[in-house]
Amino acid sequence: MNANKIIAFAFKGIFWLLIAYFFFWAISNGYFGFIFDQTEEFLSLLRQHLLLVGLSSLLALLIAIPVGVFVTRPQFKKTEWFFMNAANLGQTLPTIAILALIMSYLGIGYQSAVFALTVFSILPILRNTVAGINSVDAEVIDSATGMGLTPFQILYKVELPNASYPIIAGIRTAIVMNVGAAALAYLVGGGGLGDLIFTGIVLRSNEYLLSGAVPVTLLAILIDQLLRLMERVIVPRSLRPGSGS
Amino acid sequence: MKKMMTALSATALLALAACGNGESEAGSDSKGDIVVGGKNFTEQYVLAKITSIYLQENGYNVEEAVNMGSEVVREALENEQVDLYWEYTGTALVNYLGQEPLSEDEEAYEVVKDMDLEENQIVWLDMADVNNTYTLMMRQEDSDKMGIHSMTDLASFINENPDELTFASDAEFATRSDGLPGAEEHYGFEFGSNNVNRMDAGLTYQALRDGDVAVSMGFATDSRIKGFDLLNLEDDEDFFPAYNGAVTVREEILEEHPELEELLQPLAKSIDTETMTEMNYQVDIEQRNESEVAREWLVENGLINKE
Repeated sequence: MNANKIIAFAFKGIFWLLIAYFFFWAISNGYFGFIFDQTEEFLSLLRQHLLLVGLSSLLALLIAIPVGVFVTRPQFKKTEWFFMNAANLGQTLPTIAILALIMSYLGIGYQSAVFALTVFSILPILRNTVAGINSVDAEVIDSATGMGLTPFQILYKVELPNASYPIIAGIRTAIVMNVGAAALAYLVGGGGLGDLIFTGIVLRSNEYLLSGAVPVTLLAILIDQLLRLMERVIVPRSLRPGSGS
Repeated sequence: MKKMMTALSATALLALAACGNGESEAGSDSKGDIVVGGKNFTEQYVLAKITSIYLQENGYNVEEAVNMGSEVVREALENEQVDLYWEYTGTALVNYLGQEPLSEDEEAYEVVKDMDLEENQIVWLDMADVNNTYTLMMRQEDSDKMGIHSMTDLASFINENPDELTFASDAEFATRSDGLPGAEEHYGFEFGSNNVNRMDAGLTYQALRDGDVAVSMGFATDSRIKGFDLLNLEDDEDFFPAYNGAVTVREEILEEHPELEELLQPLAKSIDTETMTEMNYQVDIEQRNESEVAREWLVENGLINKE
């Protein structure tokens, strides 16, 4: 074992100890009380949170990937700057500002929150889709053309599989950020675990704060792991980084 | 190594610059630094602005720390991060001092004044005649249609038609014992957690106006009640305590600046429920800037000179 490995190992150990200590501290102070005392309400908030994240992520996917494919077609390449800038704007605008703006049209609650989260999630997916498709080797496409594949077949059989790793990485980034951003839905009455976090902040109550914040964190980690798993299933082995290809 | 030296010297420079700033501020001929705190709704923005502009014009170096929840700003005061802010008797009585609510304003004021000084070294300056009590609101037309005019009416309606009405609340009211849980217990009804929509405090009025909810919490001095054609349900059993505003300040700060007490007296004397509602109206309905409204009020009342 060399020095670097020992240091990394030590850091990992300290990290896990800190996490264990955190949970010990929180549990012994009853800071997850809300989850156990009002389980039903907690589960309903969790459900709302998942619904917010799920629907907005799905919408973002359905918009970003087709748009990403569209702007990488040679004949539409000129539109790329427009869509990229629009998506950039969607992410640069603070989520709170999007919420406030859209609320005047969609009213208070669920729809506004889903809309804002969708807008917020489009960029990482779109950016990675475009970058992924653009990075596919031109010679690979040439040879596919030479083999007589139609443009659609090239997209489906060559470009998308070759770009799948960055695309899924973008989806992962988007959804994990979305889990955190969904906590802001409280501000417009969108429900979700943000209710607990904000209650904890205004009342300065660790019980509410941690009963909301820790599940949100765990949810983000869990979803990240699930998507990594999906990545293993979808991305061809030879295209994974570090595969030596 | 060279990189590290650069980084170090940059840090040192920054640190020096920061010190320099601090010195120049303290070195100016101001009467001292005051941090004015505030909570997260219109009236508090206006009150904090009035207070900070007034103190600034009187030669203090003022820093503002607003937009906090009740518990947070109070803790900031106790932790010396905030020097003074406008607090309400009812909030302090029930939430910080753990007493039973009192609906008589003078009585509530005397209790919090004595207890807070003794227990927390916090001084309550003169009480203003502005009672910003919590209220439950409905749309005028709904209230007529359903025959709900008081909280007793609301309780019996909900008991007969559970799950029919939805409620908009901010996180604070939904959890405070002098808020929704207390009112539900006192009047004997329950919205049910699925019918309570929690959102940012300022949005509840809009949610009610737009028909997103049937009932909403609000503050009695809020001009949108009138502006949006809403109705305050009568608190017919006097559940909500009196929430008279007064500046709370740390005893230590008052010892450093004893003149503050007298200086701030005219503010408490001149602000009442009517003027407060009017100022809230200008900010919320006429969309004016709160510092403009605050300055104008100070000038009108002869408390500061220049425009």
